[in-house]
Amino acid sequence: MNTQELRFERPESLFASAPAEMRGASRDDVRLLVSAPDGHEHRRFTDLPSALRPGDLLVVNESATLPASLAAEGRLGEIRLNLSTRFGPRLWTAEPRWSPAKQGPLPVREGDVLRVGDARARLLSPYPGIPRLWFVHLDRPGEAILAERGEPIHYGYAPAYPLETYQTLFSRVPGSVEMPSAARPITPRVRSALLDTGVRIAPILLHTGVSSLEIEAATVEQQALYPEPFRVPAETARLVNETRARGGRVVAVGTTVVRALETAWSPGGVRPMAGFTRHYVNPATGVRAIDGLLTGLHDPVTSHLAMLGALVGIGRVKDAYAEAVRARYLWHEFGDSHLLWRAPAAS
Amino acid sequence: MRKVALVTGASRGLGLELARFLAGEGHSVIATARGERDLAAAAAGLAGLEGRVVPLAGDVADAAHRAALVDAARRLGGLDLLVNNASDLGQTPLPPLAEADLDRLRRTLEVNLIAPLALVQAALPLLRERRGLVVDVSSDAALGGYPGWGAYGASKAALDLATRTLAEENRASGVGFVSVDPGDMRTRMHQDAYPGQDIGDRPLPSATLPFWAWLLEREPLEVSGRRYQAQATLWEVAP
Repeated sequence: MNTQELRFERPESLFASAPAEMRGASRDDVRLLVSAPDGHEHRRFTDLPSALRPGDLLVVNESATLPASLAAEGRLGEIRLNLSTRFGPRLWTAEPRWSPAKQGPLPVREGDVLRVGDARARLLSPYPGIPRLWFVHLDRPGEAILAERGEPIHYGYAPAYPLETYQTLFSRVPGSVEMPSAARPITPRVRSALLDTGVRIAPILLHTGVSSLEIEAATVEQQALYPEPFRVPAETARLVNETRARGGRVVAVGTTVVRALETAWSPGGVRPMAGFTRHYVNPATGVRAIDGLLTGLHDPVTSHLAMLGALVGIGRVKDAYAEAVRARYLWHEFGDSHLLWRAPAAS
Repeated sequence: MRKVALVTGASRGLGLELARFLAGEGHSVIATARGERDLAAAAAGLAGLEGRVVPLAGDVADAAHRAALVDAARRLGGLDLLVNNASDLGQTPLPPLAEADLDRLRRTLEVNLIAPLALVQAALPLLRERRGLVVDVSSDAALGGYPGWGAYGASKAALDLATRTLAEENRASGVGFVSVDPGDMRTRMHQDAYPGQDIGDRPLPSATLPFWAWLLEREPLEVSGRRYQAQATLWEVAP
């Protein structure tokens, strides 16, 4: 698919810069756009249970967010080093940036050593195909450095909030550097209402790296993606397969869940699996393991949009986004929610 | 947890990158390669790292050298990781198999199959004590049937099968065996295979470090018997 097909316009006034709770509201006090092949519905997030049916399965990500952004100093002066993915205690990928608002790539070189307090980070080489991302070797475990000096990764459109702002009801295992944000509006009362409806909830684990930028390759499929650690437990694989066998629908809560389940998919169903995945869900690979996706609103020309296109077709994604812009939905991790159904919601 | 590792072919390319990574993690590394001067220079470049690097030059196809390597590991307290990385590409330019020099092919099999197996035999008592891991570095050529790569590929295919067999035979002792295909890399061996061509678009060996870091955190028996591609889309174990 030509990358330009993922382009759309939306004004910056639609960037959510603060979480609902900072406005004195509840986390679930956001909007929910429900998109099905037969059209769009404008709902509140607290209406989510009524959009689902008994026997449907929500799959959530149990990954908790780390304070992964570090102030660093080196040959280029004071910069920011956002850790991305942990491959071993001291071996991570990281994105050197000028500042939270100003991205790289920076003119760093192989062998450069950055100081982070009294810790050191040596830059090994750029990630193949993703020049802004570097392999770094730390002189002590990354978790220890983050515990001492890290703050949550944030970008120009929002300040850094306390770390708990970036956790969801399901966050259990620290490891993501950016919040798997789709579940953020699921509050205890929404969860209770879901369970009362007869909807089941099952976990996977996938630790997110730094968010992707615009796809630069000419076609969507050419874009290089880096691997992320994941785990699909046996019980979740079983529930996914059982749900679909009985005619229920599997709804991924967030793009991370899509990546994990699609990685673990085989013609015989979803298999239990753990490891690292670089599987890139796009219109060429398709989507086989899920029927719906609950997510936020994504930026233009990103791999996330390609994933949405794989689920419902890029035409329907752009139609939904035109509707979201028209109705002034809010973008990014503190913004509004979007539920996409692959098939018509026959009741 | 400090470990002791033995890396063959450690004076350049993937072996050197692995030795640097392991020493940077604080592990002790016995580094071996045939060229004494290159190995000394490589070891000098790793001197500032946290883990100790012990260079021991020699040919892994030589039984006395293998015994010396195992002795060095014993003096460091044992052996947790053996990386059979030293490889012989064979004749260059790569000849069609029908025209391959058979004595040269014997040398390739000696270095790529017999020597790693002999090193495993010599090191197995130490590996059993620490329930260690053996990594045999393989290649896409082991599967491919690529013209010109027959001698090298056959040696690596045989090594893959030896690795899988060792995994089954040693499961009860707790020692793990894996094959790792690192993928195309910008190394001298890769350049030797493509004389005169620009291989600057191949990733550096450090591109495989995420895989090694992941592998070394697994329990040896969790990965034993598997064949991984370090630059693949997926590395997996059963959860």
